Amino acid sequence: MVRAGDAQTVSDDAELLERVRNGATDDFTEIVQRHQSRVFAILHRYERDVQKVEDLAQETFVKAWRALAQFDGRAPFEHWISKIAVRVALDHLRRQKRRQKEIGLPELGEDALDWLHSDDEKSELDGRAAAEVLELAMRELSPADRVVITMQEIEGRSVKEICAATGSSSVAVRVRALRARAKLKRALEKLVNL
Amino acid sequence: MNEQKLKGLFVAARKETAPAPPAGFAADVLRAVRREKPISPPETFSVFDQLNRFFPKLAWAAAAIIVLGVATDFGLAAAGGPDLSDGLSQISAQWFLTPNEF
Repeated sequence: MVRAGDAQTVSDDAELLERVRNGATDDFTEIVQRHQSRVFAILHRYERDVQKVEDLAQETFVKAWRALAQFDGRAPFEHWISKIAVRVALDHLRRQKRRQKEIGLPELGEDALDWLHSDDEKSELDGRAAAEVLELAMRELSPADRVVITMQEIEGRSVKEICAATGSSSVAVRVRALRARAKLKRALEKLVNL
Repeated sequence: MNEQKLKGLFVAARKETAPAPPAGFAADVLRAVRREKPISPPETFSVFDQLNRFFPKLAWAAAAIIVLGVATDFGLAAAGGPDLSDGLSQISAQWFLTPNEF
């Protein structure tokens, strides 16, 4: 559902993009400023190093710039740029997978280690430590599995949204999500037993 | 790892705040974009525009075919072979003078 404020932004985005397409390159700065927080938030789910997140965010916007002629304005620009960010993250995970290290506990903080070894189901973990644990366990997953489980469980996206971002069918997304969840559980158990 | 603990992990991970973009990020993107090829505005072409664009190539192709035909005719004539125009006259004469079987 598009709210009134969103509709205003969408129309402004469309207007700005039209100006950019007609040669007003500087107006692209405004577009970047409007959507950079969302792009950083998406990419940070897949990369913890802030400098690398910045590089990936820049890659996202440059890719958007190159493909600007293909943006038809039927969906909000925010959805389109999010889709590009997910693709950039996926490519990054694939590159990273090739030179990945073995899974190990020394990279985790004390809070995360305590939580992992605690039998108390209600013990709470802060956001940063939880993300560290997930990052480590998710190294056992394929990049595509990781994107699906992150979008579904952490970003709270619907299957339809995941399909739109990844280009997969809803059946494929559901199957992948189930499989990824099972793999993640096994990876977390492996971490507990290390 | 039970389901409850996994759900708790997801809920906690959702609370993590993403790093804020640095102050000059948009300017850096713009610098990177300026190094790219400029976007040309979408163009629309009519049928005549498209014919006009192809006209020089079509004209050269037609001229090449004519030159090739003339050169072949001269070549055959010089080699003592049948002249193309003579051959054509003979064929048409034969066709007109013989009873038409159709």
